Amino acid sequence: MQLRPAHLTPTAHRHLLVFLSLLPRSRQKSSSTVPGFCYQSGMAYATTVHVDPDTHGDFKPTNKLESSVLSLRDVVEQDVQQNPVMIYMKGVPDVPQCGFSALAVKVLKLYGVPLSARSILEDAELKNAVKSFSNWPTFPQIFIKGEFIGGSDIILSMHQSGELKEKLKDIANNQRLNKLSVIKYEGDMV
Amino acid sequence: MGVTKEQLESTLTSKLNPQHLEVTDTSGGCGASFVIDIVSERFEGKRLLERHRLVNAALEEEMKEIHALSIKKVLTPQQWKQQQEESEKSKSAA
Repeated sequence: MQLRPAHLTPTAHRHLLVFLSLLPRSRQKSSSTVPGFCYQSGMAYATTVHVDPDTHGDFKPTNKLESSVLSLRDVVEQDVQQNPVMIYMKGVPDVPQCGFSALAVKVLKLYGVPLSARSILEDAELKNAVKSFSNWPTFPQIFIKGEFIGGSDIILSMHQSGELKEKLKDIANNQRLNKLSVIKYEGDMV
Repeated sequence: MGVTKEQLESTLTSKLNPQHLEVTDTSGGCGASFVIDIVSERFEGKRLLERHRLVNAALEEEMKEIHALSIKKVLTPQQWKQQQEESEKSKSAA
């Protein structure tokens, strides 16, 4: 643990070392491995634990999700109710950080439906909340019109069977109607 | 050390009594990611999501150590038979 991670200030690093020295030996060893990695992208993403006993609660970075009165479960519930296609993934749709998330986004993008997404990489609590909400162990997780659909294997197989087209039909139609009305409006202008 | 292919096979065999089972370690033997093809009577009358849930539940303990699990085929014996017959037909037609 002699190397200082780039994102830690010297003070924070010192605190981390103090913290680590208080841990039993076995913990120290395993502290270099962090669960939640995605190997496929070649980038190691992990949630970092900030250990800074001097920091007063007031100065903690405020997190929109945490500071609101909603529990994380409510946030997830709201996400899936308000967004016709909701995906919890590693990374964001334009820059997925995992091959499985990339595959799911690629499939969904074929249908031209609006895609709402949250990355679970930086937020372990959100990740756990989503997992327990759907009772599903892995990511990505896809919800369509509030219904839990599954992960990348399921979305791919539904795409191949035509089931996905059926599921997204009215969402895609709504989109087309919106586009049509825009075109019509432009026509009126001429 | 992660989970082995053999471990997954034995768990799935005892819990889901599969007629056909193929477990592939796609992490080069690291035990980090696996692809599974499974055929079992337990999937009869169940939707894809429910079938996946059965497999996930069977592997609950192992999942703690596995990074990625992909369930490619999750079929009933009847579906499996159909698929095999179709692939044989297309083979003989070719």
